[in-house]
Amino acid sequence: MAQPTNLEKPRANALNKDYDRERSFSFLENIYLPEIFKALWYSFKQIFQPTVTMSYPEEKWDPPAIFRGRPVLVEDNGKERCVACGLCARACPPLAISMQANEDADDPKERYPDFFEINMLRCIYCGYCEEVCPEEAIVMSKDYDIVFESREEAVYDKERLLVPKEDLQERLDFLRTYKNRQFGQFWDFQEENNIHSVRDRDREFNSGLSLVELLERQKENDTVEADSKWAR
Amino acid sequence: MSTKKLKDKVKPTFFKEHQEKLYQALEDKHTTVEIMKDKDPLGTEMILNMGPQHPATHGVLRLALQLNGEIIEKAKLDVGYLHRGVEKIAENKTYQEFMPYTDRMDYLSPYSNNVALCTAVEKIANVEVPERAHYIRMIGCELARISSHLLWLGTLVMDAGAVSFFIWTFREREKLYDIFDQLTGHRFTVSHARIGGVANDITDTAMAMIKDFANDFPQELKDWHGLLDRNRIFFDRNEGVGVLKTEEALNKGACGPTLRGSGYAYDIRKFAPYARYDEVEFEVPTRLEGDNLARYYVRMEEMHESIRIIQQCLDKLPKGPIRTDNAKQAYPSKDEVYYSMEGMIHDFMMTDTGICPPEGAEAYHAVEAAKGELGYFIQSDGTGHPWRLKIKAPSFANLQILEFILDGEMVADTVVIIGGVDPVMGECDK
Ligand code: SF4
Ligand code: SF4
Repeated sequence: MAQPTNLEKPRANALNKDYDRERSFSFLENIYLPEIFKALWYSFKQIFQPTVTMSYPEEKWDPPAIFRGRPVLVEDNGKERCVACGLCARACPPLAISMQANEDADDPKERYPDFFEINMLRCIYCGYCEEVCPEEAIVMSKDYDIVFESREEAVYDKERLLVPKEDLQERLDFLRTYKNRQFGQFWDFQEENNIHSVRDRDREFNSGLSLVELLERQKENDTVEADSKWAR
Repeated sequence: MSTKKLKDKVKPTFFKEHQEKLYQALEDKHTTVEIMKDKDPLGTEMILNMGPQHPATHGVLRLALQLNGEIIEKAKLDVGYLHRGVEKIAENKTYQEFMPYTDRMDYLSPYSNNVALCTAVEKIANVEVPERAHYIRMIGCELARISSHLLWLGTLVMDAGAVSFFIWTFREREKLYDIFDQLTGHRFTVSHARIGGVANDITDTAMAMIKDFANDFPQELKDWHGLLDRNRIFFDRNEGVGVLKTEEALNKGACGPTLRGSGYAYDIRKFAPYARYDEVEFEVPTRLEGDNLARYYVRMEEMHESIRIIQQCLDKLPKGPIRTDNAKQAYPSKDEVYYSMEGMIHDFMMTDTGICPPEGAEAYHAVEAAKGELGYFIQSDGTGHPWRLKIKAPSFANLQILEFILDGEMVADTVVIIGGVDPVMGECDK
């Protein structure tokens, strides 16, 4: 550990090459006119610098995929993915999310939110809801110019929150590359084992394989090496 | 001296107490009070109330200045206008949930705040952080330091009279904000550090932007040095102004660049290296004079050193995980959550209970934020919430010296001196 060098003995540690004449001026500098012209020249040069600003309402900014905009619910085949587990509401630091769970009448195993509300006056766009959701059902969109005319209007309900997953593809891809990947120990998950997981809704589940073929596939899966020790 | 009493002149009928308080407030709103000495109209003293809504006090800082002519005889500081009870909020949140609140304290360098909280929690709960996460954090912290110093530079020069400078430093800050956007997902409230690591890896775009910035920025800095270092007007405003003497600096509790401007090379990055600051080379610039100009040189050179650190970090950036792989201490990866029962259970446990440091454990951990020593003291009662969380805010410490260094200065220099100390009220008032 580096010791503090001069707590007992204060000293100047200047990185300026001209430290000795840091505070004294030559005659020319003392009449300060040359310096003013130097500064004016610098100001003049700035005219030719590229503009970094944008004329906002006319010109819209397209945020990158990593941008955390308005949280939205992912709509998958006309239905929300959300199973109303309530984890996002628990994780949300300003308590912006509220919901009520309900069960599917035909299939009581399936749950869905009866109502799902995010109070956009409370939301601080931290992205925790997205980070904890076990179903990839709530993600951050690119929406950033959110306005409302009343407090009631600021409470977004399910209809306004649902966005088809096709429109969120960029964000979902980003999450897959930069956030979802495993780190540390690598587990070779058998996606087939998990009917409930998000991914399997994306594809036809019934593989049409016979039991023998399934067992063979299983064996093959078990021998396949993980493609990287740590993904990223 | 008697001002006309508003409330004696009107008869409030509706909600009397409230109305009276309003009249009182209106009367108290005078910004100046004049006290005549010995019935001599020329020997007048004035109490000048500066702030909390004054545009030049960098936020909601209020100063009551007792003036004798143009000289400040006494200065009294009034802080607390931005108090949001952050420490109390922390007691009702899990450590992870509290993290975004730290962004809103020193909002000029939010990244260092995130890191400060996370390192403190990691210290109290013995969490190992992977190498790569350490380096990403260092890059983020140094970028935040540059961003904060750039705002200081712009406002200092603006306070001294040159407004266009502010625009130029903000152009560079704009680049930094774009980098933060690509690195963390937000320009301003980054919320990037997590307990046990960081939220996501550096994206390729962010990497390219950081490299570009680290290459181009030194030239910009050199230009600014060229503009200011030999400029007599700038010197006349800053030299010998707001002197914090070396003998007094430690006793008054200054920290960060303000302390280093008085000669003490006290920098937590060297003193008690956290992250991987012991593996990179950098200097701690100091000056002996203790005036505003000394602080100017110190901060400018710090920006140089920050760029040096960033470049070394980019060279050394190791491969590997970005969060600790212990599901009892940090969130598991989302792939685990989606595909394994244990992953999902840990996801729920981390969210609901969070990381639980041992009962009775205490820890203080400080980082060198842009403004100085930013420390978190945590007392744990064994649950996922801190029993007590105390924040040692550098701006609060630095503001305490204002009362001393303002005495005897000209009233026109107040703004420059505040600018030189560079407080940020969100952090001071918490
Ligand atoms: S965490 Fe996901 S699945 Fe659970 S309630 Fe929230 S959005 Fe729905
Ligand atoms: S982004 Fe953060 S604040 Fe907003 S709803 Fe999600 S968890 Fe809550």
